[in-house]
Amino acid sequence: MGAYIGRRLLATLVVMAIVGLIVFLLLHLAPGSPAAIIAGDNATPAQIALINRQLGLDRPLPVQFGLWAWDVLRGRFGTSIFSGVPVMELVLQRIPATVSLSLVTIVFAATVAVTGGVLAAWRVGGVLDRTLMAIAALGFSVPVFVVGYLLIYLFAIRLRWLPVQGYVPISAGLWPWLSHLLLPALALGLAYLALISRITRAAVLEVLAEDYIRTARAKGATSMSQLFHHALRNAGVPIATVIGIGIALLISGVVLTETVFNIPGIGRLTVDAITNRDYPIIQGVMVIFSGAYVVINLMVDLSYTLIDPRIRR
Amino acid sequence: MQTSRRTVLRTALGGVLGLPAIGSARAATPTVLRAVMQGDLRSFDPIWTTANISAYYGAMVYDTLFAIDDTYKPQPQMVGKWGLSDDKKTYTFQLRDGLAWQDNTPVTAADCVASIRRWAVRNAGGQAIMARAQDLSAKDDKTIVLTLKEPFGLVITALSTCTTPICFMMPKKDAETDPFQQVSGRIGSGPFTFNQTLTQPGSRYVFDKWDKYAPRSEPASSLAGGKVVKLDQVMWENITDQQTASAALSAGEIDFYELPPLDLVPQLASNPNIKLKIMNPTGNVGELRMNTLHPPFDNVKARQAMLYLLDQKAILNATFGDPKYYHPSPSIFGYETPMSNDANTGWFTEAPNPAKAKQLFAEAGYKGEKVIVLQATDFAFMNNSAQLVAGWLQGIGVNAELAAMNWGEVITRRASMKPDDQGGWDIFITYGGGFDFSDPIMLIALAANGTKGWFGWPENADYEKLRTQWAEAGTVAEQQVIAKKMQAVAWDFVPMAMLGSWTQPAAMRTNVDGFLTNPDVVPFWNVTKT
Repeated sequence: MGAYIGRRLLATLVVMAIVGLIVFLLLHLAPGSPAAIIAGDNATPAQIALINRQLGLDRPLPVQFGLWAWDVLRGRFGTSIFSGVPVMELVLQRIPATVSLSLVTIVFAATVAVTGGVLAAWRVGGVLDRTLMAIAALGFSVPVFVVGYLLIYLFAIRLRWLPVQGYVPISAGLWPWLSHLLLPALALGLAYLALISRITRAAVLEVLAEDYIRTARAKGATSMSQLFHHALRNAGVPIATVIGIGIALLISGVVLTETVFNIPGIGRLTVDAITNRDYPIIQGVMVIFSGAYVVINLMVDLSYTLIDPRIRR
Repeated sequence: MQTSRRTVLRTALGGVLGLPAIGSARAATPTVLRAVMQGDLRSFDPIWTTANISAYYGAMVYDTLFAIDDTYKPQPQMVGKWGLSDDKKTYTFQLRDGLAWQDNTPVTAADCVASIRRWAVRNAGGQAIMARAQDLSAKDDKTIVLTLKEPFGLVITALSTCTTPICFMMPKKDAETDPFQQVSGRIGSGPFTFNQTLTQPGSRYVFDKWDKYAPRSEPASSLAGGKVVKLDQVMWENITDQQTASAALSAGEIDFYELPPLDLVPQLASNPNIKLKIMNPTGNVGELRMNTLHPPFDNVKARQAMLYLLDQKAILNATFGDPKYYHPSPSIFGYETPMSNDANTGWFTEAPNPAKAKQLFAEAGYKGEKVIVLQATDFAFMNNSAQLVAGWLQGIGVNAELAAMNWGEVITRRASMKPDDQGGWDIFITYGGGFDFSDPIMLIALAANGTKGWFGWPENADYEKLRTQWAEAGTVAEQQVIAKKMQAVAWDFVPMAMLGSWTQPAAMRTNVDGFLTNPDVVPFWNVTKT
């Protein structure tokens, strides 16, 4: 097991290096330059060239990449071209908001979706099943910003139950923190709810047809015991996989949600940096994201051994 | 004092849930104004960047020697007394009493000299001053002396400009920073201090009232007069989604929204708790730049054809919809600015006249070569206008081709002087602050000095002579006479085409009052919230 984890962590470094190279090339080969943005609308070409020189953007690309990669290897992700704040400091400032949103979203989506998926499988073809699957179809079909605006209109403007936007750290209190995350988590979580509930339903349906479920029923196990003790446990691997994928996908999903609900997270940081061509931030965030993505996948793989002891062998 | 279990439970629950302790004494609530401004405050150096939001920051934290009032006249601000020698070559500025940096050290003339020098590298007006300067120095702690080689009528105008970069005064150690590098200091002598503890870059910027600021005794007027702060704190919330910002204003989560999109303005106006105000009466001015280095626009007839082709009203209507907020205007000096006039505009008032435009393209020797129109898709005005212009050109048989890209790419590509087949361009559309168009020295787009000048690179010696005369004119009235002559020449050689002017109202809660107007800055002094 130790060797397996070691190999996977080593692969993480390789993935991060490849992502770093691709992001660097994409950024620097794409048109547009931070120097032109800094220089302003009235700048002459000579002024833009001067700023390019001062930012080191006039050097050959391999030299720029080498310098950046060497800094990253030493744990230095550079500083924002515009604000002058270190990238790592900016990322650390934004992580709590993104982690909070992701956590509330995945807890909401997984809890509702797994329960709903199991119950839908139990009453397959019934009203509950059809209702849940209709909600799932809606979750897949409606874009997150549409759901977001509708939720804001209903719960924040009409009913005034929840705030429109913003983020409050948990240190300010549980309710202020949660109240700012409920609407974004609901908007973002709908798609994951749809995905997880459909996979859960399919996996549980498959297990319910197995002989050992019939045996459990014959031995007098209650419906709940059949469903949640026998069926759900054996259907756990695909469900854990899809929840794991969901967590990884959240990284991209939070970008739009953070924008709509004005949550100062990593997604907003990335979008703003792309708009401004703030290369150090974009490169730093992408490398950190790729590392997080691989680590999440590794954790999902390791969770299989807890869910299904047969995989350990 | 006895503490019951109920009190303990209530306090604990309040702490966890973030609810105020019931029955506890309440401290006086500070007056905090939450505002959504035009963009993210990316740089804290208003000299290093021309971004308006950095100038807004500058106006909070720093102060200026001179500033314009609401009639656009320069007034002393940090300066108490000032004078000009009889030969009009030596300016003497004396700092008024009570000026201090926010670290409680006094503002000195040496600080101001260093600040002027740094600003002058980045500002066209400052460059014009320093090109004529023989000496700029501190005579003593409170006296600045500027000696010129020749008289120059725009010294006070340039020092008081609100066109970015504005001549903000900084402590000497910051002002000695390379003008192309950002300052690290956040200390000014303005009416607000920057609260770095509560600020979250990219999300929220916080300013506190500076109690030791000594405002002038005159009433506040735009950036001039007494900067009396009536709020305890101002927070700029960076809400990038316009729909969300509008919803936040409707719900009372923010108090002020600087630039709500015009399509959301009617909805906001219908809310009884929200009012609208034009913060920038001179608005913005759209312009179409033509590449005069290559065919077809190296020929003046092709450029004149564009003036017959363009329908300003249609262009403005496509983006701004409500005629209340836009004004067609043929003047190169913008709409209702101090220099606006109608000289030599009569000949193209019949526009749109596609037949005449077609005839002029033919007279220019146009032979079907490609005309590349850069289309900045991320700015509605530029995007919509480019599509209309390309369509109208195609309608008269011109082989116009839209090159869709984001604004960042436009500002890179427009710098190319090469022909179309080597990555060049023929037309791009942009806009600028209306007030900026009243100053042909500060606004490089109003120069016609060929490849030394701005994109499109029009060249005309007569116009340039007049531009120099304008800079040397002693009074606004003299400048207005020269401005007419400049425009008469300009509409003969057509350095660009104008696309009209528009304003955009700010929206605010009805309990907010006292906002002063200015073309390029939103001042937060004088503002009250009840």
